[in-house]
Amino acid sequence: MPEEAVIEIDNLTKHYGNVVGVQNLSLKVHRGEIMGFLGPNGAGKTTTLRSCLDLLSITAGQIHIFGMDSHQQAVAIRQRTGYLPGDFGLLPGITTDSYLRHLLALSNCRHADKMHSLAERLDLDLSRKTNELSKGNRQKVGIIQALMADQELVILDEPTAGLDPLMQQEVYRILREENQRGSTIFMSSHILAEVEEVCHRVAIIRKGRLEVVEDIAALQEKTGKVLEVEFREAVDLEEFDLPGVSDLRREDGKIMLTVHENLDRVIKAVSSHKVLNMQLSTYSLEQLFLKYYGNQREQSTAENPGGEQA
Amino acid sequence: MRGTIAGMELRSGWKGLAIFGVLVLVVSAGMPQILPAYRESFTEDLEGASRVHIQVPEQQGTLVNLSWEPEKNATLYLVLEDNSSTFLTSQVKYLGNQTALSFPRDFEDKRYYAVLALFTNVSNASLADLFTAQRRLIGIATTGDPSNPFQELLDNPAYQGFSRGRDINPLQVDGFIILEFFSWWWMLAGLFVAYLSVSVVAGDFENRRMDIYLSTPISRRRYLLEKFLSLSVISLYVILVATGGLVAGIAGIGALEEVSARAVFLSLFGCLPFLLSVAAVGMLAAVLFQKVKVGMGVTFAAVFAQFFLYTFGNYTSSLAWMKSISIFHYWDYAAPILDGVFRWGDFVVLGAVAAVLLGMALWAFNTRDVPA
Repeated sequence: MPEEAVIEIDNLTKHYGNVVGVQNLSLKVHRGEIMGFLGPNGAGKTTTLRSCLDLLSITAGQIHIFGMDSHQQAVAIRQRTGYLPGDFGLLPGITTDSYLRHLLALSNCRHADKMHSLAERLDLDLSRKTNELSKGNRQKVGIIQALMADQELVILDEPTAGLDPLMQQEVYRILREENQRGSTIFMSSHILAEVEEVCHRVAIIRKGRLEVVEDIAALQEKTGKVLEVEFREAVDLEEFDLPGVSDLRREDGKIMLTVHENLDRVIKAVSSHKVLNMQLSTYSLEQLFLKYYGNQREQSTAENPGGEQA
Repeated sequence: MRGTIAGMELRSGWKGLAIFGVLVLVVSAGMPQILPAYRESFTEDLEGASRVHIQVPEQQGTLVNLSWEPEKNATLYLVLEDNSSTFLTSQVKYLGNQTALSFPRDFEDKRYYAVLALFTNVSNASLADLFTAQRRLIGIATTGDPSNPFQELLDNPAYQGFSRGRDINPLQVDGFIILEFFSWWWMLAGLFVAYLSVSVVAGDFENRRMDIYLSTPISRRRYLLEKFLSLSVISLYVILVATGGLVAGIAGIGALEEVSARAVFLSLFGCLPFLLSVAAVGMLAAVLFQKVKVGMGVTFAAVFAQFFLYTFGNYTSSLAWMKSISIFHYWDYAAPILDGVFRWGDFVVLGAVAAVLLGMALWAFNTRDVPA
């Protein structure tokens, strides 16, 4: 049985005058998943998310959320969707509590318990005036307002921006709980560890085009392990050019390689020399990111045409 | 209240509204208090006019006789002549110690004569002494009709614009509040509403509040209509405060029998759709430019342009069409006070203008991106 798409973006194109925001982007976010949306600044993440919310009028293509047209039925969609903007301001001159209750009322939600429990978990004092909050505390208000009405779909634009590492961890826990409760989450990020830690799948966007959509687990499996060895003696690089090994190179006197299979043979080859230091790590999303964006000259867009992989 | 944008707008802005309310109250209640002093100073000038007598013959070349009542302790009398009651281009007609003057009529148009008494310390004063001498206006006479130069002043188009072409007497409370209160009330209330209407919408763009508002199940139409509703409530509030202040002020000088509270209210109530039209212009500018400063500049310019359209149309009969395309033409504040009528037709016209402008703002908002 095919998975139900909560968000279905079909050939989305958004131009700002002559500037291309997003070009021919197609993507599906399935019910019950946490989908990460990864890309460098200016890649088109915010443009895509704001198009979903009907804050932008799209140049071409269509977006369906809960099967409804994102423009024609925007109000019905927003009744079931929570949203954290990447950049936002709060209504000044009132308490945080008043502001959040105002937004709850606008969302036709009568229960403030979730608002209070989230504020407690994020250590936010709701009696403070909104204009007296620090950047980090403003971000917490943004997260609370996106989650407090128990929405089916939550769209988050860089949710942990401006939060300290402990708070970030708490937000990840909250997001996982929300997801277990049944929320579908679509979140953008440029923090790779965040996507790795929270998301089930990731869509990578670059220069307005979708590069790839992968399961986090499959992606990590596919990319293998990175081995970094420092020898006490001179070693011939070709000794390690074994089947299942890629990215073999010498760097800062160390030998670096990526192992996809035959780890045993590689380790045995290493052990035939005197080893000074060795490190084996999971091919992180960060390195994956570099693979897609680092060597841009070789990696042409023709090799990976955007919009075909959702 | 919490579940509406309009309610929150009023709640978060109540301090500013309260301060503006106090200002309006002070000005509207204080204005009539000036009338007694104003009346006194004008009456002095008018009495002066009766102290100068003029006889003007029909025939050219025959003698015009000008005489005036002597002023005690005056050392010299100065007569100035001009063809305008402003005396901006006056020339000295006579300087001497007589109290009468005869000269041949050599003009077709109207002439004005101002007679002043000079008080110098020395009998043989030099010219320099005359410039610095203490002086007092005995009066002004004119060869034309009306012989009262004060009336002439009121017939000036600038005054006619404020009195809507009616004969008004600024020495009476009705004429006074029309000239001195309503002539600038539009600026106080209109520019306040213009400022608010731009800032409540463009402020949400500029301070990045729009994304959160429009992620709740509030349509853009409802957002804008609620903002407009809050501006309507604020406009009504300003009108009611001004009515209260003005009525209290008029009662304070014991003149409520001359101008009724009802007439004052209706005069001010007539500006409700005027203010709403200004609010709609402001909201249109806000959604088009999405910046407070730009929107404010455009809105203020639009309001002043409307004002000048009206005044040009009023001053110049060949440009009379101009005033009919100005919103100022459709708020005749003098009608309830002077004629006892409220112009419902104008009220409806302005209401329709506000509705059309609001519709344009809605359309513009619906077709535009919310800036990130």
